[in-house]
Amino acid sequence: ANWRYAHEEYEGDVQDVYAYKFKEYIEDNSDHTLQIYRFGELGESDDIMEQTQAGILNFVNQSPGFTGALIPEAQIFFIPYLMPTDINTVIEFFRESKAINEDFPKLYAENDLELLQMYPEGEFVITLDEPVTTPEGMKNKKIRVMTNPLLSETYSAFGATPTPLPWGEVYGALQTNMINGQENPIFWIESGGLYEVSPNLVYTGHGWFTTAAMANKNFYDGLPKEDKKLIQDAADYAFEKIITHIDGLADEALAKIQAASDEVTVTRLNDEQIEAFKARAPQVEKKFIEMTGQGGKDLLNQFKKDLEDVQKN
Amino acid sequence: MATILMLIMIGLLLLGFPMMIPLTTAAVVGFVMMFDGFGQMGTFIQQMMGGIRPASLIAVPMFILAADIMTRGQSADRLINMVMAFIGHIKGGLAISTATSCTLFGAVSGSTQATVVAVGSPLRPKMLKAGYSDSFTLALIINSSDIAFLIPPSIGMIIYGVISQTSIAELFIAGVGPGILILFMFSLYCLFYAYKNNVPTEPKASWRERAVSVRDASWPLFFPVIIVGGIYGGIFSPTEAAAVCVLYAFLLEFIVFRSLKLGEIYKIAKSTGLITAVVFILVAVGNGFSWIISFAQIPQAILESVGVNEAGPIGVLIAICVAFFVACMFVDPIVVILVLTPIFAPAIQATGLDPVLVGVLITLQVAIGSATPPFGCDIFTAIAIFKRPYLEVIRGTPPFIIMLIVAAGLIIAFPQIALFLRDLAFAD
Amino acid sequence: MSENIPELEDDTGTFESGLPGFLGTIDGWIANAEAVILAAGIILMAINTCVNVVARFVFGEGFFFSGEINRILIILVTFAGIGYAARYGRHIRMSAVYDALPTKGRKVLMIFIALFTSAVMFFLCYHSYGYIETLYSRGRILPALGFEIWWIYIWVPVGFAVTGIQYFLTAIKNFTSEDVYLSTGVVDGYADSESEV
Ligand code: NA
Ligand code: NA
Repeated sequence: ANWRYAHEEYEGDVQDVYAYKFKEYIEDNSDHTLQIYRFGELGESDDIMEQTQAGILNFVNQSPGFTGALIPEAQIFFIPYLMPTDINTVIEFFRESKAINEDFPKLYAENDLELLQMYPEGEFVITLDEPVTTPEGMKNKKIRVMTNPLLSETYSAFGATPTPLPWGEVYGALQTNMINGQENPIFWIESGGLYEVSPNLVYTGHGWFTTAAMANKNFYDGLPKEDKKLIQDAADYAFEKIITHIDGLADEALAKIQAASDEVTVTRLNDEQIEAFKARAPQVEKKFIEMTGQGGKDLLNQFKKDLEDVQKN
Repeated sequence: MATILMLIMIGLLLLGFPMMIPLTTAAVVGFVMMFDGFGQMGTFIQQMMGGIRPASLIAVPMFILAADIMTRGQSADRLINMVMAFIGHIKGGLAISTATSCTLFGAVSGSTQATVVAVGSPLRPKMLKAGYSDSFTLALIINSSDIAFLIPPSIGMIIYGVISQTSIAELFIAGVGPGILILFMFSLYCLFYAYKNNVPTEPKASWRERAVSVRDASWPLFFPVIIVGGIYGGIFSPTEAAAVCVLYAFLLEFIVFRSLKLGEIYKIAKSTGLITAVVFILVAVGNGFSWIISFAQIPQAILESVGVNEAGPIGVLIAICVAFFVACMFVDPIVVILVLTPIFAPAIQATGLDPVLVGVLITLQVAIGSATPPFGCDIFTAIAIFKRPYLEVIRGTPPFIIMLIVAAGLIIAFPQIALFLRDLAFAD
Repeated sequence: MSENIPELEDDTGTFESGLPGFLGTIDGWIANAEAVILAAGIILMAINTCVNVVARFVFGEGFFFSGEINRILIILVTFAGIGYAARYGRHIRMSAVYDALPTKGRKVLMIFIALFTSAVMFFLCYHSYGYIETLYSRGRILPALGFEIWWIYIWVPVGFAVTGIQYFLTAIKNFTSEDVYLSTGVVDGYADSESEV
């Protein structure tokens, strides 16, 4: 059969690479074909999610940040300092975490979605109009956020002023100083040219941009056993490929940025500086529990336990 | 499938259906063909809603509202009087003033329609009285109003920016150069026309009168300053600039000039809302239509068969110009931008063309096509507003169309005409 | 922007419904509601956006929900407006071929156009209702305002239904009277009827 898969990024971005690896495995190991749609071809994130729920698309890749309007618990990835900073620990976490591999699939299933794989895209980097190392330095900085209450809470907690803005207006708003900064994985900062208008990169280590590949549940449940296995294997195959892809991707992007601009500064917060930001995290956790109730609280505890487990090893 | 959808669209369009119907029907037929029935119509509705979701679309009603307030009040007349006081007396001055007033009014208004009304209504009788032929006058008004489409703010650019995710602020500033180039070409033609037909000149205004006209126009002249200063000073986004314009127009006409009564704001807002709705329903349906052709991978197939991907940047630019120009001879410009932009997006990306340059050229083509027979929609606007027969309205247009096409050629050959100011403003 | 608006004057004063009796009264109310939504929607858009600009400039912090409010207003204005535009024959159309026909041909074509358009509107009304049901069952919320998203689409099927009714009435009007009507109250023609505007 010809299956359809949509994601929310452009050609060559992490989700696109994942999708094409997934396609490669499916097409090499079966007679099925996979048609991939990139950002905007079938609408925005919310649209492709609804289309997957409606069964028009068989697979969709959506970041939990956008899924928040559907599955409030998915916003957990916006809680700062919940995840490790070091990439190997992060990958370990995605492999081993019970929250990710057992709790989340149940939440998605409640919304007619079969969660195939959650994977990290890259560490969040804040770009600003000046290098900042303390929450005090963030005071009165207007930071662009997606329209997501929990993400807003994070920047309020950090001392900044969260300013919701559509992605299309971010570059212009940075240029005219309507906003003072924004956060994104480094390869987006590079491909979107954001460093040209917001040249001070601050590595706060507060989180990873996470995303998830999933299938329409009715479609998946109706498949014969060997097709289910094929899809699971393809998801695993693409995951293995993507973690080698993102390893080094961040360094490459940073090197490109530094080659392109002399104005760019890079600030990596040291442990002491990170502690000052970390101290603000409980406020966001409180807000998260407020929004998600007991279920969210349990998930948060599981997350923390999983994190301890991988850091022990 | 592509052929069937095209035939449905053009057929229903020519029969005189409300424009939302050809688009809807073609889209629904596309859905039925793709999904064997009506089972997925929910997605068509979803995409209609998605089309009118971008918050930046509010710039459209806001610029229409601001222009409407200024046209009903005194701002438009004051601007025209000032232009007349300075260049009314030279050979062809009245005609050149008309073109200049359209350009200037274009700097405070985002819509061609509003400019035709605001400038054409007071100046057409004057030109006729002075001895210009009606066909020349009508063609001048129609085509000069298209300059308003290029000079920021521009509704066409906003729609293009929203769809192609291009910086609207950059598009705005890139429209200025081409707008002035076209004004210059039109003015030369007016001069030529006036000498050839020996149109008498108007009396010269005294410096005192000029000073008065500038003083009178100083309030409305502040509009571009607010728009440009606000956007480039980081106070508001281009979208928000539109709402700030409404606020300023309101302050001028209702408080400073006292030319309108507060009760009239209801009527004006209602009229703006009506225009907004008939445009936005097309934006909505157009997005639904573009979803199904995108889902069926039609744009990719068409572009591949035409070989656009191998044509190189200049080839792609020319293909874009021709496609938009021809389409606008038949269909409303907003719809054309909505339907064609996504089709060309992959080719634009592949050839590495500057999306701002493409946006300016598309805006220009859309403006030219709208004034071009047989069905350019500006022609029908002018027929409706000035109540003149079709043939008389189109008779004077060919020289203007030729000048506009030359302008497009110049911009392709020398992109700096558009990009110079942009690069200056956004230099690192 | 090719809408055939002769002048910027307000020619959408009082609306006379084509429906008889009690239905006509309800239709009149809906017409009034549409007018109020149109005007208020536009004014609120301006106020909402300006207040946000001022708040951000003066207090350094804009309103989180400002964008979502504009989104709701756009939907309201669009779908209140399509019905209102149908009442006054204001939808954008490309009438060159149509205009070239003799009166009889225009009348037949207009009846066909009105009936077909009406059918399409009821079709969209039905499916937009279905879409709202789907959204209702999924429980998606507006991220900033926090309430369920299906609320903001309620006027969509209403707008389609009103538009469908108006075009249906236009077809009937063309059947029962001598002139050609663009809508129940608007006689067709701009070339030969200067007196009418
Ligand atoms: Na303009
Ligand atoms: Na689209």
